[in-house]
This record gives sequence, structure tokens and C-alpha cells, in this order.
Amino acid sequence: MTWTWFHRLGSPPYIYALAARLTPWFAWPAALLIIGGLWGGLVLAPADYQQGDGFRIIYVHAPSAWMSLMVYTTMAIAAAVGLIWRIKVAHAVAASCAPIGASFTFAALVTGALWGEPMWGTYWEWDPRLTSELILLFLYLGYMGLRAGLEDTQRADRASAVLAVVGVVNVPIIHYSVTWWNSLHQAPSVMRLAKPTMAASMLVPLLMMLLGFTLFFGAVLLVRLRGEVLSRERSASWIREVVSA
Amino acid sequence: MSRFGSPAAGVVAQAGATHTQQSMGWAGSRQAPLLDAARLALARDLQLAFRKRGQLVQPLAFFAMVTMLFPLAISPELARLREIAPGVLWAGALLASLLALEFLFRDDAYDGTLEQYALSGQSLTWLMFAKTAAHWLLTGLPLALMAPLAALSLGVSAAAVPGIVASVAVGSVALSLIGSIGAALTLGIKRSGALLSLLTLPLSLPVLIFGARATQLAISGGPLLAPLELLAAVAVLGVTLAPLAAAAAVRISLE
Amino acid sequence: MTPRRRRMVLVLGIVGGVSIAGALALSAFRQNVTFFFDPTQVAAGQVPAGERFRLGGMVTQGSLHRAPGSLEVRFVVTDFSHDVPVSYTGVLPDLFREGAGVVAHGQMRHDGTFVADEVLAKHDEKYMPPEVARSLKKRHGESRADGTAPPSTPSSGDTQPPAAAHASPPSAGT
Repeated sequence: MTWTWFHRLGSPPYIYALAARLTPWFAWPAALLIIGGLWGGLVLAPADYQQGDGFRIIYVHAPSAWMSLMVYTTMAIAAAVGLIWRIKVAHAVAASCAPIGASFTFAALVTGALWGEPMWGTYWEWDPRLTSELILLFLYLGYMGLRAGLEDTQRADRASAVLAVVGVVNVPIIHYSVTWWNSLHQAPSVMRLAKPTMAASMLVPLLMMLLGFTLFFGAVLLVRLRGEVLSRERSASWIREVVSA
Repeated sequence: MSRFGSPAAGVVAQAGATHTQQSMGWAGSRQAPLLDAARLALARDLQLAFRKRGQLVQPLAFFAMVTMLFPLAISPELARLREIAPGVLWAGALLASLLALEFLFRDDAYDGTLEQYALSGQSLTWLMFAKTAAHWLLTGLPLALMAPLAALSLGVSAAAVPGIVASVAVGSVALSLIGSIGAALTLGIKRSGALLSLLTLPLSLPVLIFGARATQLAISGGPLLAPLELLAAVAVLGVTLAPLAAAAAVRISLE
Repeated sequence: MTPRRRRMVLVLGIVGGVSIAGALALSAFRQNVTFFFDPTQVAAGQVPAGERFRLGGMVTQGSLHRAPGSLEVRFVVTDFSHDVPVSYTGVLPDLFREGAGVVAHGQMRHDGTFVADEVLAKHDEKYMPPEVARSLKKRHGESRADGTAPPSTPSSGDTQPPAAAHASPPSAGT
């Protein structure tokens, strides 16, 4: 087997074209899954035995929270790859991840607050899970701030990559916070070793939403990546060909 | 200080030179020169700091002022102050340590010392560790010694003093190390203060939480071993990883 | 040092440092690093006198009493080995049920009553339609108030005393 396919991934024109080709393969299934998942979750799924209809916010909250961690992990891995093997495209991936991850984190915090008010009796509580998720938002903002503060793209890439890698310590803390401390937040229902603690009629739409959000992230990442590659390579000759074509 | 780094920096670089000569003959049989350079860098930073005593006192004065704000702003009632004392002490210590971070690499980046360190052939990780150690000796340790005074002025009983000193001493090690990463990442950015806080504060929050918890337990006479151990865990993790990250960040800033 | 040896030292240093940090954290977690205290810890005197803290546990069946004409409620929080009576004035959250988990902020009074100024309901990670909950309950022959009790466990999983909560594997996973 040759490694040419891998080396081609480091080439901006190839990535630009590949991202364009792949985007619909992520976007359409994402749209179908999210529509189906919302229909299943908000209409077909029965009300919860304890929380009634209020539990339905889980169909937005849990996938957002899950994505906030998954996007950070993706960003840190891309940053580490860029740092170690000096692949520019990897840095472009990491840079494209940050605003998406920050948005998912914000969405998870807001939907969590809206869910917490009726169920727990409070919008916000300085609970380990909530606090560590808030720290994640600040990490994303710090990453974006550092990139904005450094004018030289190459230096911004490498410095922000160090920050992204250092911030990874927070990811397991967020995930296990509900297990390590006895917290107000409930334990995971789906992301656990044992069987999910959710009736199948409620679980299926949730899994559709999880997959839909993941694919949606893929689609948005590809679109952002194209923009990132375009702006980084703005003086390259292949851009002129792409634009004039 | 000469234009190209202080004389002491030259000594560090020289230590590097002798090391390279030696290592040709002895190919890795001795580790001493490596630590020699780190020790020299530490001594140099301490010496420089004592030449500029005004700068040295700033974070401490800031800490004293911050802890003074609360009795004046909230209420001078000692019972209430005692309740908020852990938070006041730790927020003050965190902000003072943050303020001091700007001095950690700034002068050395201006006069080229950092560049000499990076080119000296010495392990930049050890040199970063030495610089951070100097920073802790100059800010963290004095803060830990000052914290009891601030605590007493907030109505805390003298019995809590050992616990408070221990928690601030251990916690400030972690703060200096976490801060060294942020300071190295923001090298060369003009008006980097706000950005430095944005990078450093989120990672420092666990230290604030466990530190305030330990202080609270010290004040109320509870068992404070568990939060102290968590502080120590963060500090050890910092000792292990922060100099590596800071060295990488300094290299990146010099590229 | 040769580069190879230097790398060895580096890797050993990282592994050593991370293990020491992990050991310290584990030792801390074996003691009490909790978001809330449970009644057993309160009974054991782990909560320093006069300090505000969070009390967590289950509301004992049949212990809820409302004072007529006011918002004052009294109930008992239990972890199935010790009980703490709680008094609270205010609106209870929707999910507050007898047999379900709560976290209350407040202070111990000298007579051993916990005076709460905020009561939060803690729900578990189980979701199911009401019919399923009812039939499960019937099958287990439990006669809990209004279907709030989770079917198979005596306590609702997440409000067990922390020692048990740490030991119970179900909440681990990715």
C-alpha cells in the first residue's frame, strides 16, 4: 500500500476540492437525521414518567453537550498532528473547529439552563459538571482569542495548537465529573458501558440526533475548512484558477 | 544589562558550550551540566529581581489591596468576613499571581535572553522550569507568607494559619506553572494582559476551587487533607507538563 | 546525554509525574470531596458546626408536611442509614417528590434540623414512558407514592451514599 493518499491530504488544493465534494455527503444525511430525530423526539416519543414533556429538551441538550466535547477532541488531535508533523491543513482543521465547538458548548449551557429551571428548580448551580462545561467555553474563547491576537498565521497555528493540547485535560474532567463528585447533574444515560437507561422509543430519536449532530458538525467543518484554506492560500496560483474557473 | 542579554545569561550559554564540549567526550554519561544551567538561570532571575525591588513588591501590594477592598465594600463585620475569607484570599492570590505573570518572560524576550537560552544547546524545558521556580519563589512563596496576615485581618483565628499557608504555597506552585504556559504563548503580543487572563484563568479555576475549599476547611477546623492532595496533584501535573508546553511555546515565538 | 537517552528520561518523567498526580487525586477522592454531604456524613460530624453546606439524599416516603396557610414545608432527607429533618420556606421545584433525590442549601440548627433556603430536585438518568414505569413498579410489587421510585433499585442510583456511588459501575463509560 502506498501512502500517497495520506500525503495528498496535506495539499491545500486537493483538500479544497475534496471538502467541496464531501460536504453534501455529510449535509444531507445530517438534515434527514435531525428532522427525523426531532419528529421522533418531540412528537412520537412518549412523555417521561417523571419529567413529563419537559424531558424532550434532552434531544437538543445531550447532542450539543456531546458535540462540545467531541469537537474539542477533534480540534486537539488536529492541532497535535499539525504541531508534530507540521501539516498546515491540520492547523486549518483545528482553527475551523473552534467556533463550531464554542457554539455547541454555548447551546449545551443554554439548553441545560432551560432544562434545569423546571426540573431542578434552578437555571444554574455551581455543580462540577456545569462548571467544567463553562470552563470548556472559556477554553474555546481563549483559543480563538489567541489566534486573533497573533498576526502571523504560522505562529498563531502553532501557539494555539499548544493551548488546544494543554486544554485536553478538561475533557475527561467534564465527562467523569458526574461520577467523581456526587453532583446535581444526572449520570450519563447513553454514553456508558452498560445498557442505556432509556426506553427504546425515546432512545432511537436521541441516537438519530447524536448522529445527525455529528454529521452536521462534519458538514460545517468542511465548509469552514474551505474558507480557511482559501484565506490562507489567497496568494497561491491555484486559487486564481479556482476562482476564475 | 547588556543589549544581548544579561551577563548571567551569557554564563548560562557558556555552561551550554562546556556541556557540548564535554558531551563529545563523555557522550551522555553525566547529567550535571544540564541542571547546572537551570540552577544558574534560577540564580540569575532571583538576582535580577532583587535589583528591581519595586517590581517585586507590586503583586504583593496588589494582593493586600484586593483583600482590603472586601471589608470596606461588604461590611467590616468579622463574622461575615470570616465566611467570605477563603474566596477573598484565593481570588486575591489568583489575581496577584496573574499580575506577576507579565514579568515572567517579558524582559527576557525584549533583551534576547530567551533567544540565547533557546540557542544555548541546553534543555529549554529545564530552563523554563528554572524560570518558573524563580517566579514562584518571588511571588507564590511571599503570597503564601502574606496570606495569614490577610486572613487575620478578615477575622480568621490563628489556628487556621498553618492550613492557609500550606494551601496557598502548594496552590501557587500550580498557578505559576499554569501561568508560565499562558505567558509563553502570549509573548510578543502587545497589550497581552486581557488575553493572558483569558488563557490562564480557565485552567487555574480548579486551583481556585480546591484552594478555597482547603482554606475554608482550615478556618472551620475540618479535615483539609483531601483538597490539599488535589492541589498537590495539579501542582505535580504542572511540574511535569507545564515546562514542556512553555518551552514549546517559547520556541514557537522565536520562529 | 544522547538524544535517545534524553527522550527516555522525558518519557519516564512524564509517566512518573502523571502517576504521582493520579495517585494524589485518587487518595483525595477516597476521602471526602463532595458537592453535597449526605445524612451519614452529617451524623458523623463531618460538617463543621455553623457552616453553610449542601445536604443531599432522598426524601423519606410520607415525611412531607406542609404548614397550613404558609409556604413552610418539613420533610426528612435520608440515605437509608441516617435521617436529617429539613425545614424550608418557599416554592418546591416540580420534580420534588417523596422517594426522589434532593439537594438543599442551608445550615444545621442546634436542634438538629437542617434549615434550607434553597431546595433543588435531583433526577436520575432513567427515562421511560409512564406506562412502563407503572408496570415495572407493579411487577416489583413496590408501593411507592406516585411512580417516582425507579423500578429495580431501593435508592435511585444517583442519590446513594457517595461510597456506594463511587463503587457502582453503571455511571462510567464514554
